[in-house]
Amino acid sequence: MTERPEVRLTMAALPEGVGVVRQALAGMADALAFDQGVLADMKMAVTEACTNVVVHAYADDGSDGTADTLEVDLLADELGLTVVVRDRGSGIKPRAARSTPALGLGLPLIAALSDAFEVRGSSGGGTEVRMTFHYMRDADPVESNPIGETGWVPPDRPT
Amino acid sequence: MDANPIVLDDAAGDVVVVVVEGEHDIYTAPTLRERLDEALGRGGGVVVDLTAATFVDSSILGALLDARRRAQEQARGFVVSVGAEVEPGVQRILDITGLVPVLPVIDGREAAISAARDGVSGSPG
Repeated sequence: MTERPEVRLTMAALPEGVGVVRQALAGMADALAFDQGVLADMKMAVTEACTNVVVHAYADDGSDGTADTLEVDLLADELGLTVVVRDRGSGIKPRAARSTPALGLGLPLIAALSDAFEVRGSSGGGTEVRMTFHYMRDADPVESNPIGETGWVPPDRPT
Repeated sequence: MDANPIVLDDAAGDVVVVVVEGEHDIYTAPTLRERLDEALGRGGGVVVDLTAATFVDSSILGALLDARRRAQEQARGFVVSVGAEVEPGVQRILDITGLVPVLPVIDGREAAISAARDGVSGSPG
C-alpha cells in the first residue's frame, strides 16, 4: 500500500524554515489532542532533524547541483503521529570543518525524544529520518535511549 | 516587532545579562552568538536569562557552551538562569543532555547575577 501523507511541507532548506515546520507540527498536534509534553519532544526532535538537513544535506556552494529542498510529511494513524524529514541531497558524507561546529547532539536527541525512529536513504537519493510519537506513552523514551549512553559528552569535557 | 528577541541588559553593572525570549534555533543562533560576543566583550561576568524562552535547540546549546568556554578561559563568571516555571521546550533539553551543572543553570536571574559576579562558570565539564 502506498503511504499517503496527510500533510506534506516542501520548502527551501534554509534556517528560517525550521520554525515554520514547528508551527505546522504544533497545529497538527493540537488537532490530534497530543499531550503538551509529547508535543515539546516532537518539536525538539523534528527541529534537530530539519537542522541536519539545513546544515549537512547540501554542499555550501551549490556544487552538488541539487535544489536544496527540505521536505516534511506528517502522517497520523491510530497509534500516533509519524513525521518524516527528508532531503534531496546526495546522502550522508563527511564534511569539511565548519566555523561553528555542530554539537553532534541531533541524532541522540531524536533517539531520546521519539517513541521510534529510523534513518534511511530516500528514493530521491537523499536521506530521510522517520520519527513516531505515540498519543499514549507507556514510558519516557529517554529511559530507553538516554543521551549519556550515545557517547555524547559536552564538547569541552576533558578526555 | 521581533517576537523572539535577544537583548543585553546591563542594569547589574559588572554582570551583563543576555535576555533570551521566545523560540530559538539555528535561525537565531547567529544572533545569540553576536550578543554573547558583545556581552563577553564588556569584560565582566555574563548571565544568559532563559526565563522567557519557550524553546531552545542544540544550536543554541552549542552557542552557550562556546561562550562558557571562552568565559572560563578568561576566568570570568558565566551562568544561565531560568525562572520558577520552565517551559518544557527548554527544561527537557537541559535535563536530558545533563548540561544543568555544566553550563551551569541556576534558578532566578538575581541568584545567577550573584553567582556570575563570584566567578562561577559551571563544573569543569
